[in-house]
Amino acid sequence: MKKKIGIIGLGNPLRADDGIGLVLLRYLQDYKKTLSKEIDFIDGGTSGMNLVHLLENYDSVFLLDAVDFKGTSGELRKFTVEEVKNQKIQWFLSTHEPDFLSVFTILQQLGKIPIQVIIFGVQPKDISYKVGFSEEINTALPHLQKKILKEIQSMII
Amino acid sequence: MSKDFSIHVEHLTRVEGHGNITLDVKKGKIEKIQWSVVEAPRFFEAMLRGQHYNELRPITSRICGICSIGHSLASVKATEDALGVKITSQTAALRRLAIHAENMQSHILHIGYLVAPDLFGAGSVFSMLGKHTDTVLKIVKLHRLANEMSDLICGRTIHPIRLVVGGFSMYPAEKQLIQLKKRLIEAQELTKDLASVILSVADRLPAFTRETEYIGLTSDEEYALYDGDIASTDTGRHPSNREYKEVMQEYLVPHSTAKYAKHTRESYMVGALARFNLNSKQLHPIAQEIASLFKLKAINYNPFMNTIAQLVEFSHNVEDSISLIDTIVELGIKQEKPVKPVKKAGRGVGVVEVPRGILVHDYTLNSQGYCTKANCIIPTNQNHANIQKDMEKLVPEIINRPEKEIELTLEMLVRAYDPCISCSTHYLDVSFL
Repeated sequence: MKKKIGIIGLGNPLRADDGIGLVLLRYLQDYKKTLSKEIDFIDGGTSGMNLVHLLENYDSVFLLDAVDFKGTSGELRKFTVEEVKNQKIQWFLSTHEPDFLSVFTILQQLGKIPIQVIIFGVQPKDISYKVGFSEEINTALPHLQKKILKEIQSMII
Repeated sequence: MSKDFSIHVEHLTRVEGHGNITLDVKKGKIEKIQWSVVEAPRFFEAMLRGQHYNELRPITSRICGICSIGHSLASVKATEDALGVKITSQTAALRRLAIHAENMQSHILHIGYLVAPDLFGAGSVFSMLGKHTDTVLKIVKLHRLANEMSDLICGRTIHPIRLVVGGFSMYPAEKQLIQLKKRLIEAQELTKDLASVILSVADRLPAFTRETEYIGLTSDEEYALYDGDIASTDTGRHPSNREYKEVMQEYLVPHSTAKYAKHTRESYMVGALARFNLNSKQLHPIAQEIASLFKLKAINYNPFMNTIAQLVEFSHNVEDSISLIDTIVELGIKQEKPVKPVKKAGRGVGVVEVPRGILVHDYTLNSQGYCTKANCIIPTNQNHANIQKDMEKLVPEIINRPEKEIELTLEMLVRAYDPCISCSTHYLDVSFL
């Protein structure tokens, strides 16, 4: 049976700021009771093509990830799929596999596109192989956590 | 033949990570052929040092988004070896199911999304939609099943959480396993359908051969994936998995950031074709039938047939999973607690077969249970030298063909190995076009 809302954190915690999506996911999980009973919280890690099978289960999906949109380190930006399409952004989910819009093409063929997909991207500073965030992300973290909670609360009510 | 041309494929597509192909030809003479890896070093071993043994598995499960079950199993096996943990037969059976699930996930991804476009003359799997929608949908269905099987056994589609030192932290219900078995039976039919479709375009796989050494696990009991002895098609079984360095001799080359490896020859190959060449007689009969369709027999020296060996293994994974479920359900799932360590310190080696080949984790733990030394031998690193040697033989054989065809053939060669160069790259590089 199709569930209502999925919040999916993406990224690799072994690559410094790339793990931000997973940390934000865990923060939101702590506020589970204040959100909605219908939400699934999913650690999607480095999902790539597997994202097809995660997205197809939901009507509404929020994706949290590190995205290089040439912004200020620690900046949070919100994208819709239409915005991704219109701005012709190439958003690669991993180097092995297709970009995000390609995942959508497959979902379209399956007839299982969620009604709403929102992508929350955080501009990373450092994605080298190490555990722990850059100073910029660490400084921005409390603000990012509050902002993302507020954004999602406002969108699911 | 007196042409001048250069082929430089930077950041080859449809492979994991960054690898370059360089070919320079002057007056028909080959001046340079080079497969180089330009990915930054990863330092996973350094991340493991100083960690408690309970943390090693969760960290290594993040090394790769595709082989996260394999890294987890190599990790718990190494830790259990170091601490004298003997797992139960139920744990061994469930771990075998987990490794089948990962092999299925990864193989169908490679066959369907990465190689099929070459065989169908399409740029990507998405270009196949329309003309070959049915095939793509079958691939998606098989991929979904493999994902859900991983989720059921390991608690997650990727980056498993239930695989722990000494056993499992949670178990699937018998009812769920019975349901999974029904779907696996259906999947075997889909696999046969897919094999027929691939067979119809298999003549696009280059008929290239080069004798080399194949290395993988082997076992008297089964087609070795979870357990076995390190073996070579040249030298047979190695007496001790703990002395893996005698077989997997890693070395550095100036043009690559990844390590290379050799044993008795200049290079060797690991992965599905290596396993097939070592253990094909132990494959399930249905898998052997698929191999026969493609005239795949051991020893096969064509690296392009690695993709077909993956298809054969996929069928074996499905059949063996059905048998394992029957056994587990017959005995009944027991809510066993993970087996506790009997030693506090020691060195342990865990060896498993992951989709791309043999994987080794080697840990030394101190008396407090913290890791003081770690070594991981990744399958793709073992294949780099073999890719290079294949290119050196292949290029002179195809030098008179059009440049585009040479380029595509070299790309197909690298993709046949299903390399996972970065082994955990996920960073999203967004460019505004």
